[in-house]
Amino acid sequence: MEPELVPPTMEAIRRWSGVDCPNTAARQGLADMAGLIADMKKLRGTMVFEDEPSSFELALRQCKEPGK
Amino acid sequence: MSDLAELSMTEAADAFARGEVKAEVLVRSCLARIDAHNAKLNVTIRLDREAALDAASAADHARAIGITAGPLAGVPMMHKDMYYRKGQVSTCGSKIRKDFVADKTATVLLKLDAAGAIDMGTLNMAEFAQNPTGHNAHYGHCHNPWNLDYCTGGSSSGSGSGVAGRLFYAALGSDTGGSIRLPASICGITGLKATQTRVSRYAVMPLSFSCDNVGPLTRTARDAARFLAITAGQDPNDATSAPEPVEDYEAALTGDIRGMRIAVCDTYYFDGADAPVVAAFEAAMQALRDRGAIVEHVAAPSMAAIATYVSIISRVEGAAIHANWMREYPQDYAIHLNARLFGGYSVPGHYYVEALARRGPLLKQFVAETLTGYDLVATPTVKTRVPTLAETDIDENPANWSRFMAVSANTRPFNYLGLPTISIPCGFDDRGLPVGLQLAGRPFAEGTVLKVADAFQQVTDWHKASPKL
Repeated sequence: MEPELVPPTMEAIRRWSGVDCPNTAARQGLADMAGLIADMKKLRGTMVFEDEPSSFELALRQCKEPGK
Repeated sequence: MSDLAELSMTEAADAFARGEVKAEVLVRSCLARIDAHNAKLNVTIRLDREAALDAASAADHARAIGITAGPLAGVPMMHKDMYYRKGQVSTCGSKIRKDFVADKTATVLLKLDAAGAIDMGTLNMAEFAQNPTGHNAHYGHCHNPWNLDYCTGGSSSGSGSGVAGRLFYAALGSDTGGSIRLPASICGITGLKATQTRVSRYAVMPLSFSCDNVGPLTRTARDAARFLAITAGQDPNDATSAPEPVEDYEAALTGDIRGMRIAVCDTYYFDGADAPVVAAFEAAMQALRDRGAIVEHVAAPSMAAIATYVSIISRVEGAAIHANWMREYPQDYAIHLNARLFGGYSVPGHYYVEALARRGPLLKQFVAETLTGYDLVATPTVKTRVPTLAETDIDENPANWSRFMAVSANTRPFNYLGLPTISIPCGFDDRGLPVGLQLAGRPFAEGTVLKVADAFQQVTDWHKASPKL
């Protein structure tokens, strides 16, 4: 049975992005987002106030092989 | 020369440089292989036959009058059809861009041109590089040269099938979630994804700009080393490209890996793995131990977060890039693609920012937990046996979705982490399809990754196995 999140999510996508659900597979893919939502829920609280995207390039340089 | 098709890229280049083979002979040899086998494999999108022969003739003339040849002079290649060349069509494997003519040329193509490589045309790929299997509803599916019923891996499907089928010596692929390493593993060749920011992405079709990478599919690690040395480096046209100096990667291929430490991640990478894949992987670890490497098992407790966040980034960035076409021409996409893109519009913006913001801290955490005290991490490239095209065809059967997504489970995390990662052949499964070994190093440690991969290939023959077409 289709999860209840699917119809309101389709409506939100249409409203925010102007994209209509293209086919049955897309609707099924949306249903599968329940897993991703659950995975994100498990990560709540891990991001700290100062985290920001630019830290990635810095981390690449900081994590190089010792001596390089 | 006895069998030109069996030469590696570097062997072909060095034979040309020594005057042992002419470029025209190499090109005609590749064209003959393409004429004989392309109908089965469906590798090419555009074959520039006359232009390749003209370029070969020019290379032979230059060599004859004593002009110093570049390190790839005379070597025929073809590239995934998403590298723009000014004035030429780049379809990106799509219907939507079937007539798109580029107004600029990719930096990597210019670098390969300068090295003397001969560009013979463009290759089939997953539509907009958006699937891990190589299915393409518009140009036809690519086929695996080891068994035509099986998928090639994607999205660089033509690159994998063509190099493995000995139709040309090397090919550019691109890797956002494994699209170089997957066809390399599944077709039995070598594929290198360098550190994020290591190679310019200027004038290359975007998929997910945070995770997109440019790189080669070749037959050997030595080929990949030379290819990377030519194509890597900072590019003023790509603000994201790194200023770190480019090393002489070939010079590091000594074969001596005594005392090098390799970590095998017990977390995540073997969940649901098929027994023939695990057996080939364990045999590969023993081969590395026999060469003097130290192989130990480690944990990677941050893998769940990494796997989740990379999924968020690729979905959202793909959705943003394709939003106009998803509004205007949604039916011009394959079913599996617009279905995948559609979900990206439902992800909250703050989750996307979180996924990007956690990337640096998680990279540090992964290195601290898993790479401290080790030179490399080793995993199977694909944890399951190679699936057939039918088993992973979502357009025909949406129930294949989980099998389809499982193909890239072991490669996607390294795109989020940005680490240099290679796939090399390490055996065959019980259905006769190749198994790949994935090796990942610290940021900018391409030299270490290539050194161990080459050392493995010095004592194994998996990379020399040639499919019967």
